[in-house]
Amino acid sequence: MDTLHAHLEALFDDLELVIGWETGYEPLRPTPAFLRSREDLSRLVWNPLCAPNLSVYLPGILKDAKETGKKIGVCLKGCDSRSLGALVQEGFVERERLYVVGLPCPGTVDPEALAEARKSSAPVTHVSFRDGLLAITSRDGTEEIELERVLARRCRRCRHPNPLHADVILGDPVPPRRTEPSFSDVDAVEAMSLEERRAYWEEELSRCLRCYACRNACPLCVCRDRCLAESRTPKWTTQRDGVRDKFLFHMIHALHLAGRCTECGECERVCPVGIPVALFKEKMARIALELWDYQAGTDPAATPPLQTFDPSETGI
Amino acid sequence: MRIGVFVCQCGTNIAGTVDTRAVAQRALDYPDVVFATDYMYTCSEPGQQEIQNAIAEHRLQGVVVAACSPRMHEPTFRRAVEKAGLNRYMFEMANIREHVSWIGQDRAANTLKAMELVRMAVEKLRRNEPLFASEVPINKRVLVIGGGVAGIQAALDCADAGLDVVLVEREQSIGGKMAKLDKTFPTIDCSSCILGPKMVDVAQKENITLHAYSEVESVSGYIGNFTVKIRKKATYVDWDACTGCGLCMEKCPSKKTVDRFNEALGVTTAIQIPFPQAIPKKARIQKDACRYFTTGKCKVCQKICPTGAVHYDMEDREVVEEVGAIIVATGYDLFDPAPYGEYGAGRYPDVITGIQFERILSASGPFGGHVKRPSDGKEPKDIVFVACVGSRDKSVDRPYCSGICCMYIAKQAILARDHLPGVNCYVFYMDIRSPGKNYDEFVRRAIEEYGVQYIRGRVGKIYPNGDRMVVQGADTLLGAQVEVEADLVVLATGVESSRGAKELAEKLRISYDQYGFYMESHPKLRPVETNTAGVYLAGACQGPKDIPASVAQGSAAAAKVLALFARDTIATDPQVAGVLESACIGCGKCLSVCPFGAIQWKTLRDGSRKADVLETVCQGCGLCNATCPPKAIQLRHFTDDQILAELDALCA
Ligand SMILES: Cc1cc2nc3c(=O)[nH]c(=O)nc-3n(C[C@H](O)[C@H](O)[C@H](O)COP(=O)(O)OP(=O)(O)OC[C@H]3O[C@@H](n4cnc5c(N)ncnc54)[C@H](O)[C@@H]3O)c2cc1C
Ligand code: SF4
Ligand code: SF4
Ligand code: SF4
Ligand code: SF4
Repeated sequence: MDTLHAHLEALFDDLELVIGWETGYEPLRPTPAFLRSREDLSRLVWNPLCAPNLSVYLPGILKDAKETGKKIGVCLKGCDSRSLGALVQEGFVERERLYVVGLPCPGTVDPEALAEARKSSAPVTHVSFRDGLLAITSRDGTEEIELERVLARRCRRCRHPNPLHADVILGDPVPPRRTEPSFSDVDAVEAMSLEERRAYWEEELSRCLRCYACRNACPLCVCRDRCLAESRTPKWTTQRDGVRDKFLFHMIHALHLAGRCTECGECERVCPVGIPVALFKEKMARIALELWDYQAGTDPAATPPLQTFDPSETGI
Repeated sequence: MRIGVFVCQCGTNIAGTVDTRAVAQRALDYPDVVFATDYMYTCSEPGQQEIQNAIAEHRLQGVVVAACSPRMHEPTFRRAVEKAGLNRYMFEMANIREHVSWIGQDRAANTLKAMELVRMAVEKLRRNEPLFASEVPINKRVLVIGGGVAGIQAALDCADAGLDVVLVEREQSIGGKMAKLDKTFPTIDCSSCILGPKMVDVAQKENITLHAYSEVESVSGYIGNFTVKIRKKATYVDWDACTGCGLCMEKCPSKKTVDRFNEALGVTTAIQIPFPQAIPKKARIQKDACRYFTTGKCKVCQKICPTGAVHYDMEDREVVEEVGAIIVATGYDLFDPAPYGEYGAGRYPDVITGIQFERILSASGPFGGHVKRPSDGKEPKDIVFVACVGSRDKSVDRPYCSGICCMYIAKQAILARDHLPGVNCYVFYMDIRSPGKNYDEFVRRAIEEYGVQYIRGRVGKIYPNGDRMVVQGADTLLGAQVEVEADLVVLATGVESSRGAKELAEKLRISYDQYGFYMESHPKLRPVETNTAGVYLAGACQGPKDIPASVAQGSAAAAKVLALFARDTIATDPQVAGVLESACIGCGKCLSVCPFGAIQWKTLRDGSRKADVLETVCQGCGLCNATCPPKAIQLRHFTDDQILAELDALCA
């Protein structure tokens, strides 16, 4: 973390803005930070609780930013960097206007699992991380918890802990937990009979509030306030309460992410009612991989498979 | 909206398994339907009149006809409602024949399904909007691709009618396969004597621009206004200066160049004019054979050329032509017999192909018209012809009949006997296919007057025996194995699609079948049109054809172009994409998927960029709509809301 501060300090004159994480209302929940002055840099934090994928802000910030010649600095984990790659591929982000600080990521914490693992329930006053151990301090003292025990689902299947497309990598590379794509969670759903699967999703999606947090957190949901789920013309979904329209919304989200989803898992992380919505997109990502050997966001020069017309394409 | 529903009985075609009266009755319950009836033949004159009367009487604002496929009759009914004062797009058709009565026997189920289809059409119609075509001017120039006999005919017919014609031929000379033929069935007239004058006409007509040794690079635009980029390949000879005198060919030291015009039966020089009647009669250097290009030393032709036409530094050049219509006449290629290893083509010099034998027969061919065999130049005493090599054989993926081989075998056998009266000709065949005018008589002549011996059966193997070949096969009529000794074996290799046909089709956006032959718009009723408006077909590029059929189709394609050009403007189809700017997020995905390049950027006053459809270029394929995430781009007459309404009606 000290290297992060020092590195950005040294560069700050060339930067318009630095996007990173800072401690939120409690140390367990760092929130995105947008730092415009040198003094603020000290607020930056970096640890396995820095979950938000900051690439989601880039299209909007770049659109509004004045051309000062200065770059916008952004801290990205491995999975976040793939999202950046996909945004570059689709022309939403001009890579040369950014200074990308890549942070090799040990994995992020699933807050539910952490609450479960803690013995104390007292408010946390301090968090630190070393050698795979989280040290959580509260008035009851300091507890040490293995990160591996409280890892988020997305991180268990992560193959890209080390950022791509970065200007600088701060920290030692992390050995990936997976070297091959893993879709075991999708497999588990697909192993269900059709009836079971339908019941499973009806049950899960019946909780959906249509708060659209999943959509808003997705770096590749680029329609912003033109979302089809809220459009009157054309009218794909109604505002009726019921699993039918919720389902349709999630199908739209999944299909819009076909061949584009970078598997960052943000949609699932932010869901206030804990619906595993990333599974839909993981299924799409698997199809893209099997059909075109394509992984969104890994090659900024590649054309996304569904965004081209190639009459000689076969096998589809 | 006030909607009228007309349910057609189509005689008993529909009424046989659908209760059309009940369907009409039920339609009266659907929203906005104020009139419904059934009728014997809705497409007939009185049927159309009935619709028009009902529009007036019931003040209808939209019409649904439940009948057959819209493919045939949608235009009929659109015209009918238009005559009665409605916009032609305030009309919907429900297909209750192909989709219902013809495919199911259960009357109750069929009737129910017909009702549902009508309900969907009503719901769609309720969301239809009047659409209006616009008129764009037609550029009255025509591009002909391929200068075989079909393309030549099309070009000449268009030019005779006063059109500007651009003819692109990828070889050095026009003429196609016919230029290589000796005589032609069924009249045995000399091929170059009848083709030659037409080729000369092409050169002399002032309104024909010939780009020989050129290829189409890209095609953009649409009917009435195509832009075509043509690559003129480097010939290393300035054709404006070259007089075709041929001095260079006399002096060129590289005299062992394979003569492709003579189907590799002879040799020529590196700088070459392919044949004496070539049009244009200009020389070209074949780079891989030229001493200068391969060793850096020579330049003999440059020194000898009296007009200084040779330029070794010439490069490919691109020209752009603007045309209003395109005729594709790229012909065919011939099957490579290598997959039939047991026939030994390529291995034994005296096993040759039909087109090679044409060259042997030809007075301008490698042997000056003396029938000799390639190996030792001896006159053959026995010639065996093998039919269907690469035709009607699934094992080599050529299940279709090439159509011309039976006839050219009979011709070649007759000509062989004319040249060498003592020669014996044998033909191994599967069936004889000779359905053209005077064709069967021609084959009979070969058998009866010329004593050609026809053996019905497949050849199993061809192998050498001394300096002769043994052809082993079955005689299925005798039910016995036969062996015929021959000095020369001619394999009648079948017709396949022209090399590069698929790539060209992609550029033109026309469809092709699995063998690469171009697809006509309708096999019976639109045989020279393609599904891309303004692009027409002529000759063997559409399927195997002989000369009379190729010429007829060349003229037919010309007639289609002339009919198109008889008007000054063309109405555009308003069923195209349109962008709802307030919803467009400017993501550009539609621009990248549009196969026709029909979408461009437009900048609004606030500086934001939005997609913008060029309505005349859009073909209404709908890819953009499927891709657009906020569905800001919609296909008119097939909007999401219209289709969703149909789905809702179906699921209700
Ligand atoms: C051995 C043999 C004998 C035959 N004898 C007879 C006969 O006696 N009587 C008879 O009626 N028929 C005969 N035929 C059939 C006859 O050859 C065809 O019917 C006729 O040539 C078809 O003409 P076409 O113009 O369609 O095609 P082609 O003759 O193949 O001409 C096509 C032209 O298009 C050019 N081309 C191809 N692709 C491109 C491209 N991408 N861009 C630009 N140019 C291109 C080619 O170079 C060629 O010049 C015979 C055929 C064979 C093989
Ligand atoms: S769909 Fe979910 S997992 Fe995929 S990129 Fe968006 S937020 Fe990340
Ligand atoms: S975040 Fe969760 S509750 Fe909100 S819309 Fe997405 S799935 Fe539904
Ligand atoms: S419908 Fe869309 S993708 Fe298709 S041609 Fe028109 S603009 Fe292009
Ligand atoms: S795909 Fe849709 S949103 Fe994107 S530019 Fe085209 S019309 Fe606009």
